[in-house]
Formats: sequence, C-alpha cells, structure tokens
Amino acid sequence: MFIRDFFDKLKPDFSKGGRFEKLSSTFEAFESFAFTPNTVTGGGKRAFKGSHIRDAVDLKRTIITVVVALMPALLFGMWNIGHQTSMAYSLEWGFWQEFWNGFLRMLPIIVVSYVVGLTIEFLFAEIRHEEVSEGFIGTGLIIAMIVPVTIPLWQLAIAVAFAVVIGKEVFGGSGYNFLNPALVARAFLFFSYPSHMSGDSVWVAAPFRYAGDAVTGATPLGQLMASQPLSASALDMFIGTIPGSTCETSVVAILLGAILLLVTGIASWRIMLSVVIGGGLMGLLFNAIGANEYMQLPFYYHYLMGGFAFGCVFMATDPVTAAQTNSGKWIYGFLIGAFAVLLRVLNPAYPEGMMLAILLMNCFAPLIDHCVVARNIKKRQKRWERRIM
Amino acid sequence: MTYKITKGLDIDIPGSAEKRIAEDVESKFYAVKPTDYVGLVPRLLVAEGDNVKAGTPLFEDKQNPGIHYVSPVSGTVHAIVRGEKRALLAVVVKSDGKQESLPFPTLDIDSCDIDTIRQTMVASGLWTLLRQRPFGIVPPVDSKPKAVFVSGFDDSPLPADTDFAIQGREDDFHAGISLLARLAGKLYLSLDGKKQRNSVFASVKDADIHFFEGKHPASLVGTQIAKIAPINKGETVWTVNFQDVAIIGHLFRTGIYKPERVIAVCGPVVKEPRYVRLLSGATIRSLSVESTIGNNVRFICGSVLSGTAVDTDGFLCTSCDKVCVLPEGDYYDFLGWLRPNFKKYSFSRTFLSGFLAQVSSSSPKFDFDTGKHGSVRPLFVTGEFEKLTPLDIYPMQLVKACIVGDIELMENLGIYEVEPEDLALCEFADTSKTEIQAIIRNALETIRKQS
Repeated sequence: MFIRDFFDKLKPDFSKGGRFEKLSSTFEAFESFAFTPNTVTGGGKRAFKGSHIRDAVDLKRTIITVVVALMPALLFGMWNIGHQTSMAYSLEWGFWQEFWNGFLRMLPIIVVSYVVGLTIEFLFAEIRHEEVSEGFIGTGLIIAMIVPVTIPLWQLAIAVAFAVVIGKEVFGGSGYNFLNPALVARAFLFFSYPSHMSGDSVWVAAPFRYAGDAVTGATPLGQLMASQPLSASALDMFIGTIPGSTCETSVVAILLGAILLLVTGIASWRIMLSVVIGGGLMGLLFNAIGANEYMQLPFYYHYLMGGFAFGCVFMATDPVTAAQTNSGKWIYGFLIGAFAVLLRVLNPAYPEGMMLAILLMNCFAPLIDHCVVARNIKKRQKRWERRIM
Repeated sequence: MTYKITKGLDIDIPGSAEKRIAEDVESKFYAVKPTDYVGLVPRLLVAEGDNVKAGTPLFEDKQNPGIHYVSPVSGTVHAIVRGEKRALLAVVVKSDGKQESLPFPTLDIDSCDIDTIRQTMVASGLWTLLRQRPFGIVPPVDSKPKAVFVSGFDDSPLPADTDFAIQGREDDFHAGISLLARLAGKLYLSLDGKKQRNSVFASVKDADIHFFEGKHPASLVGTQIAKIAPINKGETVWTVNFQDVAIIGHLFRTGIYKPERVIAVCGPVVKEPRYVRLLSGATIRSLSVESTIGNNVRFICGSVLSGTAVDTDGFLCTSCDKVCVLPEGDYYDFLGWLRPNFKKYSFSRTFLSGFLAQVSSSSPKFDFDTGKHGSVRPLFVTGEFEKLTPLDIYPMQLVKACIVGDIELMENLGIYEVEPEDLALCEFADTSKTEIQAIIRNALETIRKQS
C-alpha cells in the first residue's frame, strides 16, 4: 500500500540517528494516526510472560468515539449560531445559509483551539521524548464548543495555551491532570475576560461586515440572574434554539451524544445519572423553599439551561479527572449536580454553576476515592486482626 | 459450597483441542528451566555428559539448599544453556528412552508421618511442584501453610478438559490429594459447578470441595482462594496444579518419579488441535504442530492471558496443561482506530464487533493474534478493571500503588491476595496497553526481597 510505503521510506530519517531525529514524536503521531502500530505483546521479548492477546480498543479509539458523540451538538451549534444571527438581525436566512454562517463563525474557533493546543502537545512530546497523546483531539473540540461565539481569537489562544500547559502538561500530560483541561480554559476566560464571557451582548454573532450596533441576546440563565422573565420556552431550551455558548444549547443533540457514549461504554452511566439526580434533588429542595422566583423555577429547567447537559455528558464523565471508583463516581456526580444548581440559584456573581461545580469536584475526586478505598483497606485490616486474635 | 463468579470474561477463541485419544509423544531432549520459577537462584549439580535418571537432581536453590530440581527422564546431560551474565537458562537432558527412575520409597498415605512425606517430597523434587502464595515461589522446606488449594478445572480461553486430561490417573490424583491434605492439614479442591458434580474429581477423600460457576477467572486458584478463605498478611497458602497432584500421588504409590502430563495443543491456526501425553520439559518440536499460516506464530505455554512464550526450538514450561498457538500480530492496520471492524475482538463496545457480541446471543468468530492493537499510554480509562476482577480489591488503585512502589499501600490494597495471572484480564482489556502482570510481579518481588 502506497501510504505504508511512504511512512516506511521516511521512518529512518525520523528514527534515532536520522536527520530529523528531533521530530520523532511528531512522525510517530502521524504514523500511528494512519496505521495502528505493528507492535506485539511482550515486544518480542523472549519467554515473555503475560497476556499474549490484547483487546482491539486503544486510546485513539476511545477518543474518536467521544469526538463522534460530539458531532450532533457541534452540527446543531453551527446551525444555531447562524439561526440566532438571522433572528436577532431579522435577516430571514434559509436553513443552509444559517448553517453556512454558523460554520464560518465556528471554523476559526476550532482551528485556533486545535492549532494552539496541538502545537504545545507536540512540543512537550518532543521535549520529553514521548509519544503524542491523542487526548487533545477531544479536549480541543470541547473547548471550541463551550465558549461564546464572539470570543476574540487571541483570548481563546491564550486560554487554550494556559489550559494545556498549566492544566495538563505540568502534571505530566494526558492522563495525569486532575482538572478537566477544557474547563480550565473556560474558567481562565471567565475570570480573565469577564466582559467577553458574560452579559447579554456576547452570545449572538453579528452578520459578517455588519457595522451597526450589536443586537443583544440574553441566555435564560442571564435573564434569571437579572430577574427578568424567561423569553424561551422549555421546548426551545430542550431543542436548543436559544442564545448561548457555541454548541451547548441543544439538549436533544447532547442526548444523542450521550446515547453513543453510554452504548459504547466510554462514559460512566453512574456519573451521568448521579449528576442528573443531584441537580434534580437540589432543584426540588429549592422548589420546596420557594423564597424567590428563581427558587420556584421547575427543577427540570436546570437540565435545559446553560451548560448543565453538556457538562454532565461530556465533562463530568472525563475518566481522568472524575472519581475512579464506582461508589466514588456516584458521590462525585451527585455533588456536581447539586453544586451546579446551588451556585446558579444562590450565587449572584456566577450565572453558570456547572463549570465551577465540575472543577470543584475535580479537586475533590481524589479525596472521594481515597475514602472509598479506605473502606476496603479497613475491611482487609479487620480480617487480618480477626486472624491474629 | 457453590460460588457464582459474575465479574470476568469468557473469551471464545476458536481451535480448542479435540477430545479424542491423547497420543503419546516422545521427545529426544528434555529441559528443566530455572526461569520457570520465581526468585530461584540455581546452583548447578551436574555437568555436561553426566548420566542421570528420572529424579536425579540437576540443580538446587541457593537460597533454599536441599530443594532439588530434578531430571524428568533418564539419559545424559546434553547441554547447560546460559544467557546474559552466565545466568542458567536451562539444563537439557538427552533421553535414553528407558525412562529409569531413581528408587523412592512407597508410603502408606494414611499412616505415614508428615515428616516422611515432607522429606520424600523434597528429595524427589516433588516439592518444586508446590507454589506458595503470596509471591508465587516454591515454598521453603519448613513452610507451614494455612491450606493447599487445587483448581480442578480450566475456563481460560481455549480451555483444556481436566477430566479428560486426568483419565487413567484417577488413583494417582486421589492419592496425591490425600497426601497433600495430610501434609498441609487442609486442602481445598475447586471444581466446575456446571460440569464436574459427578466427575472423578468430585469423588476425592480428604478434600474440602467447592464448586464455582460463571465467568473466567473462576478457574484461577486466586479467585477461589479469595472466595473460600482470603489470604491475610503473614499467612501463606500453597497451590498445586491438578496434574502435579497426580505426579505426586504416582511417586508415593509406585516409588517412581514420572512427570507425566496430558496437554492440549490448541489455537486458531493449529491444523489438528488435540491432546498429547508426554513428560514435563519436552520440546515444542516433539508436539509436531502444523500451523495453517506458516511460521509466523507464537507458542504459549499455558493460557493466552498469562502464559509464557516459548521458542519453536524451546521446551515446555513446568506445570503446563496446554500449549496455545497464536498468529503473531506484527502488521500495520490502516486507520485501525477509525474503522468499524467486525473481526476484531473487544471487551469494550467501541467496535461494532464487540457491541454485536454483547447484544446478540450467537457469538461470531473473531480473529485473535498477538498484536497490541494500539500504543502505550498512562492509565486513562476507569471502570474496565472492576468489571473483570472478581476479587475484593481495587485493581486500578493496586496497580498504581505497584507502579509508584508504595509497599504499605500495596499491602493494604491486597497485593498478597494476587498473583499476576489474577489481573490478566485487566491487562488484556486495558485501553492504555499497560503490562499489568509484569508490574504486579515486580512489586511482589520487591516486597519479597525486602522481607
């Protein structure tokens, strides 16, 4: 096969002692992207003892499944960006025109996110003489999907760089980070450039070459925060035809992704379910108190607004930063849901509680696991003691 | 008692051995390999050209003087194979075809005293058939275990039929069980609850019989110990392979050392998967395996999940019940991470094949080879290991404790309750392609050397 021949021809140059030795990680990344490597169990060691057969799954397969699961939300988001512009500026665009405009808005955001993030990933891999991890293929897309469409690209670039370096690489790279890098990027933007991340003017893109005043479009969370009546119905929010971050408005599209993640077993159903339970119970509790209008909001509205659904499906379930034990996952998810709603309703400074709830629980996930595992340890030590007595 | 194992995985690999007659196989050369034993430091007791009989010591353990590793056949010492730093790899004996054994005393199992059993076992080399947990070593001569555990069935991929393998040696097996039960004080025999309620295994005296049903690794002795009587810190138990039990029984009944085994020769590329009867340490060549795909295959002594790779011109490992032959997987797979793929086996449901296998009842046949199917990454995905480990431990946390070398944490997380093979399924299914069994073995060796 000619592609294989191409790689085989170049390989010596990029191997140790070759002309482009310094770029070996880069070469490896592209080669293993095209071809699953030909390594065998035991690496050809004589008298290798271990598992001689291996599951067909690898991390690339896992990540690509996540990317596929993101597709419905991404495509819907592209259309919705155009749709919101069309509505706000009364342009009466057709479906494809809306999609095309949204696509053109979304493309630079995705490109900047990938280019900045992957460049840093490749750089670190070369410095460390490691293979490039595929983790950012998912992260990079998720970052692009959770920012406002009007985000200045230079801010996005800085945020991505911050997330990859401080959120991930300083801890050793993909698999060693304790905070979800996509949320680190968003939190960085939120706290560094608040005027570009919140308010009513950032959620709807103006048409290209538009010179007049920007039309504002408030998100449901923004309206609740300002004690305004909700302009969108529950059905609008469920389908996602509302202003919001680029690709997290449509609960339907996110649910399609969730189905894929659950069927393939990539994401933990325990986490997803417990986030929903946690958020619901907290919502019901506020309903019972009912001290103000926000508290009286039907509990299921929380599922439909802001980043709750997207965070629940794609970010709370990140296996690296979530709790790792099965019982830990229940606690971790429940608290994310509960904190997200708590922050939304009670904290006037932050309209969106999901991002902070997940980051907070990322920090506590190791502690939760520690407590879960400690129970197992105690049980074992008790057994030892019984024997001694 | 019956235990049901719900966590685990039965991997259906085509090419199981056919239960016809077990044909006798004679090998010209036999080898005893120090590398088969964990932590063994051998001291050579013979030289090339020496005449030996079955049961003649070839080398002993420097750390446990007196424990002899003996020749399986009579003949002459043909070669002493050394590797790097002159490490002893194998002592090869050329068989003279007579199969003469050193004379050992026959014992009346019910009345002889325990010390005589112990001495005879050490002197005849039978002692080296015992394994001690924790650590998987041959136990020291003065070892006093809590109990002996014997697994009487095999449910690993390409399972060997143990009832068939033991046919004709039932009396030896029964004698061996009684003897080990006397020696250790307590013996647990675990059997397949679906198939072995009325088998020859179930009629043994002196053993505490438990039945196991469900998924692999139900047949692993580690699973059985964990369910019946888990190992506590400071305790030791012995485990013995069921065919080794028969070898032990045979010597005490007849006074002859004859390490006879019936092994399954199996695998998807073997032309005639079958059972053969031979002596321990025979050559792979003597099995005369015909492969359907030529020479690019791997011979594995033991299960494909935890066995040892052996060269074509190598020798069988000790306590081996089957030789599995797999095609090597050293090929590039174009866009392997992207294509749906119907022929590749996956425990995860990220492949259509794995998904269909889990939702449909008719199990399709998959291609199995030794390919790693991906690149090595840090431990990333969680939840896989837990579905495959029926033990009361946290496998992911244990593996991580082993990687960082925190001995106290390893102890607390149950390192003494596992041998590498108990986490073999985790290694198989691991998305990150980590060599988990090697990590566990290294950790156990570190602890053993420190204590």
